[in-house]
Amino acid sequence: MKKLYLILICGWFLYPPMLSHASLIEEKKCASCHRLTKKENEKKGPDLFYAGNKFKSPWLEKYLQNPVTLRKAGTIHNPGFLKGERENNHPSLSKEDAGKITQELMQMTLPDLPVEELPDPLNKGQKAKTKYEFERTFSCISCHQSLNLAGKPRGGISGPSLVDAGNRLQANWVAVWLKNPKTFSEKSRMPVYKMDDETRLRFTRFIMTLKNEGIR
Amino acid sequence: MRAFDKLMSKISLLSVFKYAILITAIGVSGCGEKQAEKPPPPPLKTESPPPLSLKEEVSPVIVTAKTRETYQWYCAQCHGIKGKGDGINAKFLTVPPRNHTKAEYLETRTDEQLFQAIKFGGLSVGRAPCMPAWGNTLSDSTIHELVRYIRELCQCEAL
Ligand code: HEC
Repeated sequence: MKKLYLILICGWFLYPPMLSHASLIEEKKCASCHRLTKKENEKKGPDLFYAGNKFKSPWLEKYLQNPVTLRKAGTIHNPGFLKGERENNHPSLSKEDAGKITQELMQMTLPDLPVEELPDPLNKGQKAKTKYEFERTFSCISCHQSLNLAGKPRGGISGPSLVDAGNRLQANWVAVWLKNPKTFSEKSRMPVYKMDDETRLRFTRFIMTLKNEGIR
Repeated sequence: MRAFDKLMSKISLLSVFKYAILITAIGVSGCGEKQAEKPPPPPLKTESPPPLSLKEEVSPVIVTAKTRETYQWYCAQCHGIKGKGDGINAKFLTVPPRNHTKAEYLETRTDEQLFQAIKFGGLSVGRAPCMPAWGNTLSDSTIHELVRYIRELCQCEAL
């Protein structure tokens, strides 16, 4: 009997917040394409259980109303991925729904995510050096679109486009991803890099400079 | 008769005693040795290692379903599903991914060079930097298997 009370009390504490976070996400059936917990099997769409760590909320809100293509071949678990067959398009939501879902998504975070201390924004020389390494030392551009010095998008398509990464992603998420992608995803098609911290944080800064505003 | 009976019973008692000691001794030593030195397995063990090591000498690296899966997961995004250099990134790269079915070129490369290219990236063997380094992602033995798999794709060996 004591146990039953305990379960009821625990349930009362845990249940309401979960329900309120998941409500519109549930209603819109986001879980049919996205993982909302790490325990589920991989799904076609990008994982959302750490959305609050990964995305910048203004970008998310805009994306949900007007979904732009970030992965021209679809996501890595899309069956047509290796043939470049992107399947379904993301539904677009009303301004109101997009705002609500963004709020819900921003609540979805991982516990104990490390907080990285970023260096100052890069000066011109550091930026040029990092760009060189982005293309030559680490071959990032082979799979990720980014902007060349003339402000033109270029690069491979198997990884998500980084052309607007500075508006889309949180710097801390980028830094942790570069250190240990397995924090978020057990299986990625990206090579694992063992960058020293200086390089890794400089790369994070560099990626954060990539923005649509830079397209010329 | 009585004397004989007494003798017999003494002998049988003694032998029962002896057997008892023997059985317990075997029992105890059997358990102990099984854990420590494993007496029964040795004949098996001495028989099985030779064929194993012989096998290793003949074909040290074997392409398995896992090797092909690894190639599809990581390499095919550039080198293509069939290794023809036509993966989804191919047309966006400044240097096209190597066609792994082309014997004319791959004959000119040693297994060691292919291994280096995969482990340390294209630049490490004087090739284009668009070919990433996989040394932190894949183990050496997986990379050796991938080299074998590429040899299977080109149906060629180093000249
Ligand atoms: C991001 C695209 C990309 C990925 C992914 C990739 N490669 Fe490559 N690879 C290339 C390019 C581009 C070249 C051509 C380099 C050149 O010719 O200068 C190449 C060349 C090679 C070569 C030939 C090197 C030589 O001597 O010319 C081998 C072997 C090779 N890749 C194996 C692999 C294997 C195995 C994988 C998967 C673990 C893989 N590649 C993944 C882009 C890629």
